[in-house]
Amino acid sequence: MATATVLGAESPDRWRYLNNILNRKGPYTDEAFTPGDEPKAFLADAKILVIGAGGLGCEILKNLALSGFKDIHVIDMDTIDISNLNRQFLFREADVGKSKAEVAAAFVMKRVRGVTITPFNCAIQDKDDEYYKQFKIVVCGLDSVEARRWMNATLINLVDDETLIPLIDGGTEGFKGQARVILPTISSCYECSLDMHTPRAAVPLCTLASIPRQPAHCIEWASVIQWPKEKGDLKLDTDDPEHITWLFTKALERAKEFNIPGVTYSMTQGVVKNIIPAIASTNAIVAASCCNEALKIATTAAPYLDNYMMYTGNESIYTYTFTHEKKENCPVCGNLPQNLEVNPEWTLEGLMERLQERPETTLRKPSLRTSSKSLYLQAPKQLEEQTRPNLEKKLKELMETGDELSISDPGMPFNLRFIITMSE
Amino acid sequence: MHINCLWTTWPTLSRIYSYSMSIPGAPTAKEKKYDRQLRLWGAAGQEALENAHILLVNATAAGTETLKNLVLPGIGRFTIIDDAVVKDEDLGTNFFLDDNSIGLSRAQKTCELLCELNPDVQGDHIKDNITNFIHTNPEKLKTFTTVIITGDVPISTLLSLDNLLYTLDIPLFVLKCVGFTMTCRLALSEHAIVETHPDSTVDLRLLKPFPELVALYEEKAAIMDDKEKMSEHDHGHIPYVVILLKALDDWRSTHGGNIPSNYREKNEFKSFLRGKMWNADEENFEEAIAAVLPYFNPPSIASTTKEIFEDKKCTQLTATSSNFWIIARAIKNFAYDDNEGILPLPGALPDMKAESKDYIRLQNVYKAKARADLASVMEIVRVLLSGLGRDPNSISESDVETFCKHAGFARLTRVRSLNEEYEHNPKVKTVSNELSDPTSLMHYYLGIRAYEMFISEESNSKHTPPGIDDSTAENDAEQLDQYVTVILDKLNIAHSPELLEGTSKAVREIVRVGGGELHNISSLAGGLVAQEIIKVITKQYIPMNNTVIFDGISSRSQVYEL
Ligand SMILES: [Zn+2]
Repeated sequence: MATATVLGAESPDRWRYLNNILNRKGPYTDEAFTPGDEPKAFLADAKILVIGAGGLGCEILKNLALSGFKDIHVIDMDTIDISNLNRQFLFREADVGKSKAEVAAAFVMKRVRGVTITPFNCAIQDKDDEYYKQFKIVVCGLDSVEARRWMNATLINLVDDETLIPLIDGGTEGFKGQARVILPTISSCYECSLDMHTPRAAVPLCTLASIPRQPAHCIEWASVIQWPKEKGDLKLDTDDPEHITWLFTKALERAKEFNIPGVTYSMTQGVVKNIIPAIASTNAIVAASCCNEALKIATTAAPYLDNYMMYTGNESIYTYTFTHEKKENCPVCGNLPQNLEVNPEWTLEGLMERLQERPETTLRKPSLRTSSKSLYLQAPKQLEEQTRPNLEKKLKELMETGDELSISDPGMPFNLRFIITMSE
Repeated sequence: MHINCLWTTWPTLSRIYSYSMSIPGAPTAKEKKYDRQLRLWGAAGQEALENAHILLVNATAAGTETLKNLVLPGIGRFTIIDDAVVKDEDLGTNFFLDDNSIGLSRAQKTCELLCELNPDVQGDHIKDNITNFIHTNPEKLKTFTTVIITGDVPISTLLSLDNLLYTLDIPLFVLKCVGFTMTCRLALSEHAIVETHPDSTVDLRLLKPFPELVALYEEKAAIMDDKEKMSEHDHGHIPYVVILLKALDDWRSTHGGNIPSNYREKNEFKSFLRGKMWNADEENFEEAIAAVLPYFNPPSIASTTKEIFEDKKCTQLTATSSNFWIIARAIKNFAYDDNEGILPLPGALPDMKAESKDYIRLQNVYKAKARADLASVMEIVRVLLSGLGRDPNSISESDVETFCKHAGFARLTRVRSLNEEYEHNPKVKTVSNELSDPTSLMHYYLGIRAYEMFISEESNSKHTPPGIDDSTAENDAEQLDQYVTVILDKLNIAHSPELLEGTSKAVREIVRVGGGELHNISSLAGGLVAQEIIKVITKQYIPMNNTVIFDGISSRSQVYEL
């Protein structure tokens, strides 16, 4: 039997089945696939990066180690919480408070001999292009839209003649999830599909302030209105049980005043932390699908996913596999600026507020420029002061139809570009 | 008293105690650990998991991954039965074995490493093979809540196990993972689900308002269109339920007493509503317009609920009928004997633009009606129980309440046995309809069935899988092709080489890996199967019926009833 020189270092039999699919062509294998040492060497040498060491991340690290990858990096800035233990199986009660990336890496290395996992207990934004360039594949197991957008845009910005790093992204929510393969600039990117995520409808402030009807309204009133009012500058820490208890007590009082039933501690936590239900089984499904794609991309032993698989498990088992189309005017992977119709009577501040409401722009502190001048800059302080008077000005004083408006924001690793059309 | 003393002495301690003891509803340690899943299946679901005892036959990668996903959420107990010793190739696919496990019992080592995941869970192992076990200890099967069987088990054993478990009403999951292919078959004689978790249980009864609701809206109706009597603010805060009831009344008076019934009329009705707005930004009217399509349906009983009502177990209660059937019968009697064929009101009310007090009042009207319906059903339950010679209070009100809330969404599923599929009553059409589609996953089903025949062959006493050697792999594949034709002949399905092109490819993909698992596919299978087991054990959500196939090459799945 052909034995891998690289994979079989531990024992000739350990990777027998994996080797079988690398040593033998299958009926669906691409013409270009050369069975034997070539795919094995690639697996052994390729550096692969895992973003997130949580519910998906734990699974992904295990799966990649058992797929024959030998050099894995993992980035996660979180520490282990008690509520992680129902699914993040590399952690034990004694690990609560420790770095997720470090504990997860150590565990998998101990269990699976011959794999090296390098953990980083930091934010993805702390790493530069040079760092990301060393990887052949990036697998994302994140629960944050913002971090995904950053990673997606970063890998797209890295594309040049020599670099094209596939991004494999997984996400779950309760019994639902998705796995997808993004080939930067070639296939649809994370930003292209952003409108598939409908943001949770915000409750109007006046409902919270004067006409609450639901227990959630009372809880939001406590956190959005009463906390700043009574606690001043003290920052609300949703991980601090005392803070949650305070909100719960306030919400309960408010609910009593309006005869609203149903405020519970658990609901208080759920609302203020925006808790998404999470279980081991869904994470297992999505992570395994992501890693199966990583193995296929790395070895070409079988065609990889083009490019999206959605999965739902609350009623029977249902998957939908399809090609998500690239968006022509995608602000990240497309090259055309989008059209933006504005009213010349709006103030610059009014325009900023409207932009913030758009689902595809999660702007927090945007800076705005046209090609000829800076309209408003958040930093440095001096420029902020200089441009601040523009906020009051009407758009007709600042720009005209055909101008290109460029918006940058610390929350986005790319600029949004718009072509302005003035209309009444 | 003592605690009070402590509090004055150690203020930090008092802070901790006051958090965990004096706040009603603050989570316990267990609630904290399981918080993210309790939000899906609640305390009742969790309790069901904790009372469950799972049997895993053969600690393959897929089998241990399945158990991992059950141990983590806190299943009560599991037992692994396996007579294999750990080999090197196990370590390349199974995460719950390590270098120190080689040469030792696979049942024991996987059990040990799985137990590390959750101290709440009890794990046991039996060093035996299942064929032997069901001959020597068939009565022991009764102690298990659910059985999962994986690995290369001969067909005769699968069918005997299915026979035993089906009559015991114990769910059986037959799981196969070979290379990029995974199949899982569930056999379960009867499964009744109350909490199916529909997106919404809201029933506003707009077309058939009950008297209390009519009384509430009539109060407002008189002044609703009168700018003298109602302020603009108040008009913008009329709950949309009231708006719709009033508009319906007006509509009826100009449409011969009829309601808007088809799509066109519903659209006209929307315009009619728009005409009643006082200004363009009355959100409550926008909400009313949006509610026309989803909520303008006369009360009716879903076919899935009717199936339950018409079942013999519902029409012919006995002294040993389960609570499910007694409550189902009570609800049936309630609907048909006393309530014009209308189910008990679930009582939920969606949020809507309104003053707090008006909304709460409306909510209370729905809730009171739901409670009244519940009381009637409860009374019928008691009468039924007495009639059966049972304690009239032996069914709790909360169980009846849950059923009343979900009466329109409850499900009864009978999942066919493996023996029906393989022997007495195969689903010929389901198989033959799929064959002509080269992308159908049915080809993998046939490939796996042929694989089973290969390892079950009498001459293959060690159940050696196909494709273990490069040199004989193609011979083995041809043998599997042969078995496929045997299966199809038995089903009387005509076939030709062209028709079987897809199957032939599936067979070669299955043979390619040499009978082993790829970790990713086994891990995915472990997720899918654990999820189905959780649904079955908690009796919440709807499980698949009855075979799921996943193809890791095209990343697609398909469920067939076979
Ligand atoms: Zn894009």
